[in-house]
Amino acid sequence: MQMSDEIKISARDVNVHYGDTHAIKDVDVDVLDKMVTAFIGPSGCGKSTFLRCINRMNDTIDVARVDGTITLDGEDIYARDVDPVQLRAKVGMVFQKPNPFPKSIYDNVAYGPRIHGMARNKADLDEIVEKSLRRAALWDEAKDRLAQPGTGLSGGQQQRLCIARAVATQPEVLLMDEPCSALDPIATGQIEDLIDELRKNFSVIIVTHSMQQAARVSQKTAFFHLGNLVEYGDTDHIFTNPEDPRTESYITGRIG
Amino acid sequence: MTATMFIAVLGLAAVAFLLSRQRAYRIAGANLSALHSRPAYHGTYSLLWVLVVGWGLLLALSVASSVLIEANLSARIAEALPDAPEIERQLVLSDAVAIAEGALPSKTGDLRAEIAARHTSLQAWRNWAIVILVSAGALLATAATWSQVALGWRARNRAEKIIRLILMSMAGIAILTTIGIVLSLIFETLNFFSNIGWRIDKFLFGTTWSPLSGVHEGKLDPDKVGAVPLFAGTLLITLIAMLVAVPVGLFAAIYLSEFASRNVRSTVKPLLEILAGIPTVVYGFFAAITVAPAIRGAGEAIGLSVASESALAAGVVMGIMIIPFISSLSDDVINAVPQSLRDGSYGLGANKSETIRQVVLPAALPGIVSAVLLGVSRAVGETMIVVMAAGQGANLTANPLEAVTTVTVQIVMLITGDTEATTAAGPAFTLGFTLFCVTLAMNIIALRIVRRYRELYD
Repeated sequence: MQMSDEIKISARDVNVHYGDTHAIKDVDVDVLDKMVTAFIGPSGCGKSTFLRCINRMNDTIDVARVDGTITLDGEDIYARDVDPVQLRAKVGMVFQKPNPFPKSIYDNVAYGPRIHGMARNKADLDEIVEKSLRRAALWDEAKDRLAQPGTGLSGGQQQRLCIARAVATQPEVLLMDEPCSALDPIATGQIEDLIDELRKNFSVIIVTHSMQQAARVSQKTAFFHLGNLVEYGDTDHIFTNPEDPRTESYITGRIG
Repeated sequence: MTATMFIAVLGLAAVAFLLSRQRAYRIAGANLSALHSRPAYHGTYSLLWVLVVGWGLLLALSVASSVLIEANLSARIAEALPDAPEIERQLVLSDAVAIAEGALPSKTGDLRAEIAARHTSLQAWRNWAIVILVSAGALLATAATWSQVALGWRARNRAEKIIRLILMSMAGIAILTTIGIVLSLIFETLNFFSNIGWRIDKFLFGTTWSPLSGVHEGKLDPDKVGAVPLFAGTLLITLIAMLVAVPVGLFAAIYLSEFASRNVRSTVKPLLEILAGIPTVVYGFFAAITVAPAIRGAGEAIGLSVASESALAAGVVMGIMIIPFISSLSDDVINAVPQSLRDGSYGLGANKSETIRQVVLPAALPGIVSAVLLGVSRAVGETMIVVMAAGQGANLTANPLEAVTTVTVQIVMLITGDTEATTAAGPAFTLGFTLFCVTLAMNIIALRIVRRYRELYD
């Protein structure tokens, strides 16, 4: 297994408030490059909220306030001169529910490359689209129907389309917010295989409800509870020998 | 008389309700659950029957007796005045009724006095007959439904069935009225076409509109009923109105739904909707008294000759009137675009304008198109503004600075003019029917687009 200890994302003293709700409390975490990191925890524990801090998606919510420092490759992403739009090109995101745009499959994947001017001509764009769809393991199913609407695909195919769309912009980090929660076990299996593939090129952070999924796909796991980061470490270690009693209760099914 | 009986039936129905409910309680005794229907339903069942029988008899007897009395009186008048024309006999009858009711007749005389007396006595008979028959019917209904109250009696199901029939008949009234209006439009249109010798092509493609100047012995001149100038005028004004309303309304909607803070939105949206609440007659004199002279003044300042009533003035004001339709509907459809699509776009590093142009607007497009179509059908059917500000002369021109006339304006002119109604009604109804077809088609298209849009996201 290819491993590196290079720190990709580093968070210190991160606090998030939604209006009066204190959603994230003093979270410190270092996410490593070329590795899958899983955020687990019961509903409402703040794992998705924290994920949305990493590409500043919380900026689009009026009442959300983020404090603390998050750095990507050592640079503060909340610094004044950072444009969240550019940040999000580097930090891609896949959402809980597949959300293909009401456009053709081709245009869905080409959306990011087009707005970032990544292709100089049609041939370039065709190549990016094909490469992205191959990476998302969707090329064989979609190559004959690229002009058809993305909304016409099945749920699992739609989610892979969204992954293809995210990798098409060549991000450095891929955030996945419960990407399999709307899918059946077969589609879930395909996505999980895909995540393992993606690890070669990206740093992947996945939020999941399923502890089995975290154990299957991730190398590092962080356990969140009531807005606190309770425990963070190697996935093998957390699942076999948790240090905090709360982590143990959660993974043995006593809280959640 | 009728009003008293109406209230009396209502009172009787209330009594029937109480009686049946009472009987249901008594039959059930301590064990209420043995009843199939709760006591209130037994009461409701009686109440409904009494109302239906009582009011139904009241209505039927009133109408029937009026017809009978009038027929009787008319027969007597015809007997007395065998040579008088129909219109004079009717005059005698209405005078007699006036005398009988203590109002002022146009003339008095022996015959009128006799008919009046006869009218009074028939009315008295009729009133007694109504009182007795309606009371008997209502009492019978009370007794019949009261005696039916029993443990297994399915009063609830039957009461609900009656209510359903009542609701159905109300819906039926609405539909039948519409069908009636459409049929009368079609009938008058056919009348008009036969009047011009079935030269439908002259109506649809002729360029001279002056229908009343060509009347000869009740026949219209097919060469003077060409409606093209009216269609062209309507089209021109609608086009100007949409040129004003679509950009302003759409951009306002985009601002409100995508950029405005919640506070701004909750203030501005109702303010915009106030525009929709202004009566069109106010827009009309605003156009005629304020906008048209202003446009004329501005035109003269730059050396253009502008008519004092211009398509531009009417179109611009109509556009302002339509802004809230477009903005409000578009705002709703833009808001209905799922947040997940916006998130998806932002998550790929798109900025706000890219997200709006490439994701939100395409997703909302069907709804926006249908908003525009509804605006168009509004503009085509709008009357007050164009009557006051667009002009009356049927002038075939594409110049927005000249006076034009529209279909609706000509209908107003025909109907409110002092021409004989039977002559003027033909062209007016035909124009109305044309207008109806156009707006109907537009509304159907708009609704279809909206429906397809709903299927996509619900």
